[in-house]
Amino acid sequence: MTFTIDYLALAPELVIVGTLLVVFTLDMVLTRPKKFWIATAAVAGTALAAIPLVILGVQGETRSMFDGSYVVDEFALVLKGLFIVAAYLVLLMSHHYIESERYYQGEYYFLLLASVLGSLVMASSRDLIILFIGLELTTAPLFLLTGWRKGDAKSNEASLKYFILGVLSTAILLYGMSFLYGLTGEITFSGLAEATAGRGDEPAMVMAILFVIVGFGFKIAAVPFHFWAPDTYEGAPTPITAYLSVNSKIAGFVALLLMLYIALPGVSEVWAPALWILAALSMTVGNLSALRQTNIVRLLAYSSVAQAGFMLVPFAAAAVVGADLEEAFAATVVYLAIYAVMNLGAFAVVIAGARKTRSGELSAWAGLAQVDSRLGVLVAVFFFSLAGIPPLAGWFAKFAMFRSVMIAGGTTTVVLAVIAAVNAVIALYYYAKVVKTVWVDDPTGEFVEDVEAAPAVSLRLALWVSLALTVAIGFFPALVTFVGDASRVIAVGG
Amino acid sequence: MVEGILFVLMAVTALAGAVTVVVARNPVYSAMGLLGTLFSVAVLYVAQLAHFVAAVQVIVYAGAVMTLFLFVIMFIGVDTSDDRDERLPMQRFWVGILAGVIVLLAAGITLSGNFDWVPAAVETIPEATNGTIQAIAEPLFTDWVLAFEATALLLTISAAGAIALAHFKGQRT
Amino acid sequence: MIVSAGYYMALAAALFVIGALGMLLRRNVLVMFMCIELMLNAVNLTLISAGRALNDLNGQVAVFFILVVAAAEVVVGLAIIVAIFRRRSTASIDELSELRG
Repeated sequence: MTFTIDYLALAPELVIVGTLLVVFTLDMVLTRPKKFWIATAAVAGTALAAIPLVILGVQGETRSMFDGSYVVDEFALVLKGLFIVAAYLVLLMSHHYIESERYYQGEYYFLLLASVLGSLVMASSRDLIILFIGLELTTAPLFLLTGWRKGDAKSNEASLKYFILGVLSTAILLYGMSFLYGLTGEITFSGLAEATAGRGDEPAMVMAILFVIVGFGFKIAAVPFHFWAPDTYEGAPTPITAYLSVNSKIAGFVALLLMLYIALPGVSEVWAPALWILAALSMTVGNLSALRQTNIVRLLAYSSVAQAGFMLVPFAAAAVVGADLEEAFAATVVYLAIYAVMNLGAFAVVIAGARKTRSGELSAWAGLAQVDSRLGVLVAVFFFSLAGIPPLAGWFAKFAMFRSVMIAGGTTTVVLAVIAAVNAVIALYYYAKVVKTVWVDDPTGEFVEDVEAAPAVSLRLALWVSLALTVAIGFFPALVTFVGDASRVIAVGG
Repeated sequence: MVEGILFVLMAVTALAGAVTVVVARNPVYSAMGLLGTLFSVAVLYVAQLAHFVAAVQVIVYAGAVMTLFLFVIMFIGVDTSDDRDERLPMQRFWVGILAGVIVLLAAGITLSGNFDWVPAAVETIPEATNGTIQAIAEPLFTDWVLAFEATALLLTISAAGAIALAHFKGQRT
Repeated sequence: MIVSAGYYMALAAALFVIGALGMLLRRNVLVMFMCIELMLNAVNLTLISAGRALNDLNGQVAVFFILVVAAAEVVVGLAIIVAIFRRRSTASIDELSELRG
């Protein structure tokens, strides 16, 4: 038995592993005042991992390993790029936050890097086992990181809740996968695609697919499997919340899309209605719950539940009417990319703002723009972008979503589009409420006004990068359409 | 015949253990029930020629994992987790019943549709599924070497992270 | 006599249901965690019997990976539980009510 390993194709993963080991070693060697080198190494290593990605992208050929169960195609490269940019922003946000609160630093960074590695592996996985390992490598370090604020009971509970539901969803997902294997004898996606085609009327097959969707439903926090999200988001350290709502959610989406688009397209009549219901419920329940929130992190948590609903719309709509899934797939990837940038920006603003207000309660944020107008502008930019107001990036995400629904056509999709449109209006209300609080309302309390409260250099860099991307994508959507087009080149493997 | 008797015996102990996990008031009994289930399932693995996996099940699960469970139960103290009032609010009870019925129904549908999972059960020992160490190791270190390395990393990370999380000395609490 | 895969799968389904019921009915975090282990064992039993019936070794390889990952998860989960219990002393999830969904 011979096999070869294509080291160039694995280079991004290997760079991350190398960085992880460097961080691990530095943590043992350095004393407390020099610990900032750990963060520097982590940030530099993540940036370095982008280089092989660019090289692979320029070469543009599809590389396949291990009998096609690990594939590096344009789709995988685009997603890996997205994961690395998002991880880079989260690391920048983390640096000062972790240092000033005196949490363990070395362990924090290598757990975070391990999670990034998991998401990179997942983007390339084309069989059930590697997908599962990637998913676990993404989530297991996050269970620990959610509880990193050890002194805080909220953080403890957040990690326990996340852990119990995370493991439960894994068990459900695996049960579904074991049935898929039992019914087909196939473990690669290409094999599954052939073996499942046209077998959507078998009860066992229906059950297996529903178990898989329920398992992923937990991972992407879609209603009715979202109840862990607000508590976990509120209790976790804020940079980890940003990571949970962006990287880990996108990772869940990638896994779900890979399964449905590559492995199970032949039984779309089974999963399409389930996805349709998930999308409609997530949008509606997420938005209506967000209306009632007074804490800004919980508001963003429900908003990200609702955004997950929007992301499901193109795929659910196209599958229900049996239209071509390619358009929907590209639209979803575009939405994921834009969502990542603007949501990370929103969380960076929350971190910066919380340093001034010393609170996550919305009432404490009243009048923030009067003392710091730059922060006020940033709040307006990111929250209006999330609402989808042109010319900020969010509008193009919504546009791509509605366009793909219109291309699919059919009554059920129009119903879904109407639900999405109504929800976009509801969402505008609560996003605008945050901006109004910051700009119009009178200050209710004192703001911290010393040097300590100014955003650190790294955080400011994170804000600038996400601001630049949000505005640039809004004016020149061509910047992300290539992401969508590249994702059409997806190798089935096998 | 041997496999039939073995299956009945082990299925009974596995189910008895599983029920003990759920109904026992004392977590130590629950842990013992789980241990029984894990051993019975390991025997069923052997009956299906999964020798290596059965050994891993006994060593890792019944050995390491259960020791860890018992350690934590003892560490926290049986008294605090013991005979706590577990009477449930009614709606939770009904949700439980409902979910149970749904899952049973689903299982019923599955089995009625597909009880003979595979068309032809093989009568002789099939070479392909004789899960000896060598047979498992070959695919593990060729086709699945990437997944193997990833799990190795996962174990390292979770051990180091777990120590960092459970360690309180010198940390502001 | 060879027991057909369906019987093993029925046993696995029963174990999965018992584990799922335990998750819903019990409030003790440790017991809930044990119930998840029951569910994972059901998954493994399904994979092994499917693999034998299909005359395919991949099922056993998958079980190996699930076992290892489950062990890693046990370490993580028990660390979280220990971290919580060092601050307070309850095993009931209802008494952890700092956060309400």
